Amino acid sequence: MEAVIYICLGLLFICGVLAVMLRSLLKSAIALAGASAILAIIMYLLGSVWAGIFELSVCAGLVTVIFVSAISLSNTDKQDLAKLYEDAKRMSALPAILIICGVVLILIAAKTPFMLPAAVPAAETADNFREIFWNHRQVDIWGQVIVVLTGALTVVALFKERE
Amino acid sequence: MSKMEAYVETGMLVVGFLLIVAGCYCLIRTYHLLKIIIGVEVAMKAVTMFVILAGFINGKIALAQAFVITVIVIEVVVAVVAVGLAINLYRIYGNMDIRNLRKLKG
Amino acid sequence: MQVIESSTVLIFAVPLVIFLINSLFSKRLAEKFSMGLAYVAPITQIVATAACFVQIAHLKQHDIIISWDLAGAVSMRFAVHTYSLVFLFCIALVSLASIMVANRTVPQKRTGFASLLMMLILGMNGIVMVTDLFSLYVFLEIVGISSFVLIAMFKSETGLEGAFKYLVMSVLASIMILTGLAFIFMQTGSLQYDHLEASALAGQSPTQLVLIYAAMILMIAGFAIKTGAVPFHSWLPDAHQSANTAVSVLLSGIVIKVAGIYGLIVITGFFGKLPGIKLTLFIMGTISIIIGALFALRQSHFKRIVAYSSVSQMGYILLGLSTVSMLGLLGAVAHVFNHATFKSTLFTNAAAVHEQTGTYDINELGGLEKKMGVTSFSSLAAFMSTAGIPPFAGFWSKLLIIMALWSSGARVFAAIALFASIFTAAYFLRLQRKVFFGKLRDQLAGITEIGGSVKLAQIMLTVVTIAAGLLFPFALLYFRGIGLL
Repeated sequence: MEAVIYICLGLLFICGVLAVMLRSLLKSAIALAGASAILAIIMYLLGSVWAGIFELSVCAGLVTVIFVSAISLSNTDKQDLAKLYEDAKRMSALPAILIICGVVLILIAAKTPFMLPAAVPAAETADNFREIFWNHRQVDIWGQVIVVLTGALTVVALFKERE
Repeated sequence: MSKMEAYVETGMLVVGFLLIVAGCYCLIRTYHLLKIIIGVEVAMKAVTMFVILAGFINGKIALAQAFVITVIVIEVVVAVVAVGLAINLYRIYGNMDIRNLRKLKG
Repeated sequence: MQVIESSTVLIFAVPLVIFLINSLFSKRLAEKFSMGLAYVAPITQIVATAACFVQIAHLKQHDIIISWDLAGAVSMRFAVHTYSLVFLFCIALVSLASIMVANRTVPQKRTGFASLLMMLILGMNGIVMVTDLFSLYVFLEIVGISSFVLIAMFKSETGLEGAFKYLVMSVLASIMILTGLAFIFMQTGSLQYDHLEASALAGQSPTQLVLIYAAMILMIAGFAIKTGAVPFHSWLPDAHQSANTAVSVLLSGIVIKVAGIYGLIVITGFFGKLPGIKLTLFIMGTISIIIGALFALRQSHFKRIVAYSSVSQMGYILLGLSTVSMLGLLGAVAHVFNHATFKSTLFTNAAAVHEQTGTYDINELGGLEKKMGVTSFSSLAAFMSTAGIPPFAGFWSKLLIIMALWSSGARVFAAIALFASIFTAAYFLRLQRKVFFGKLRDQLAGITEIGGSVKLAQIMLTVVTIAAGLLFPFALLYFRGIGLL
């Protein structure tokens, strides 16, 4: 199981960096979807099945659809894109930065081994996802409802072509 | 917890921080509006992973799942708003260059 | 208890019902009545808040938890404190002023404006009443999303630009806050306020507090972005200048305080005792006061001056919070109330000036005092209150903050806070002199005073500002008398 998690972490990192570094926006969006899918696998491996399903369907699916439609709406010629935004040039320092940060973080981690927090007081007895989500987190569910309604208003307010 | 598992958790923290660095670097350096949103999404992936990791470490994975589902819903709506703004800016300027946004200064 | 429960139900239910009514009826019909209907929400909220306050004063208990049992399951919990009542009242007052201004400045898309305003009110009410850090984050995002759309919905170039800048900074803040929440959750296993209070710092060795420290740095930075404190202020003037003035009233009047300051109040309540946090807030507050005032001196756009003034005033509130004492918190909350009144007055005046003259540029204005007496007077009252001139409300809250700083040993910061008031007076004198005093320009000869709901809003807010100043000591004594302080 550890080995699978390590492989997934590596793939997640690669997908994330590709999403940032790739020159073509379409490929970036696909790399982002890949990162979401791999994150869903990690979630599944850590025992959170429902969150994994959500990540896979909503983030890897819906967000990608949104991005791809936005990209197709604003399609620019490939050469123009490269010349106009100079992404390759402006992003070229990223690998070096990531390597430095990575080395520093690993050194810190090696010096001070990760301390697991002390035993958590058993404040909540229920550890059943269904009960926690629908009963203990009702405020959040109402919050979600309001967020989605606001999202609907957003679509009405921002996406209409002509008034 | 065994020693092995602590290594997994350290690895997840390191990868998460690196992804946040990558996302924020993209957000600062790029000129394209949609690329900014992609950078933000990359960082959000790392944050989602942190929440699940927290639940995994302290044994409250069910609570962490409830958090993550809410976070995902919010993330999508924020992405919709951001893309909506970008498309409206595209309709005005004909491209998605952040360098157009220089009307407000001082 | 019954009164408080039904009041909180009303506070949440009324905006939701108004939103549903707005979206159920046909567009043409809704466009006509939505703005009138929107008045119902803040007025209900003012009444409900007053009822809650009477009940709390009667019970002499300043911290009440309400549980709603839906479907017999474990319930939703909300809390009402004395200071969250102040926030609820400010939300209602500023929203009321905003709707009054919008009556004039929002000619089209009135339904959209009203519906989004309802969502914003719901989000802000949620922030001040939840009992869980994660729920606070959820409502924070509701406030954020509805603010972006409110700024951008009129689709002007500047509006979209301001909204996009705000969105990017705000998403950064969310990333920081959520990472901080994950670390706290990792350490404590729960994010509920009462569990946090018990378990956050209990019996932890310094190495185990590393996670809490990381979380604190991230969350203070995140909420500072939402507040618009220096060095995270870059989005604030842009967003507040470019929005429709009715929206600016909301953003500057209440949103930055509920989204930023209230979060900091909650965090410092739990973790303020950790060394280092006080100093961070001290330094951030002082820099905000000075930099905000200096930037305000250099602007020529009416709304931009007032927006930079918000940055500066948020610094005072941060200084009050940084003492982590009862007196400091009291001063901060009092300043939140005062800032809500005088900042919405100033933005209402900006709307009035723009509606009548067609410009925000203070160099093109002058001598409006004779033509727009009410606007000129309310602007003068608001600016005296901002600068902290004695009989006005701003004086009392700044006095409390400076006293709290002095008694907590931070005398240097107290002195800086005192002398920075001079800058405040400087930029507002400049504004007042260029816009209202002096000789009337020829091209402005035909200007008349604004009428209707905007005038009503000016009068209402000025009365509140002046009354708050005159009654402040008595209110403090009354609170002390009934045991709420």
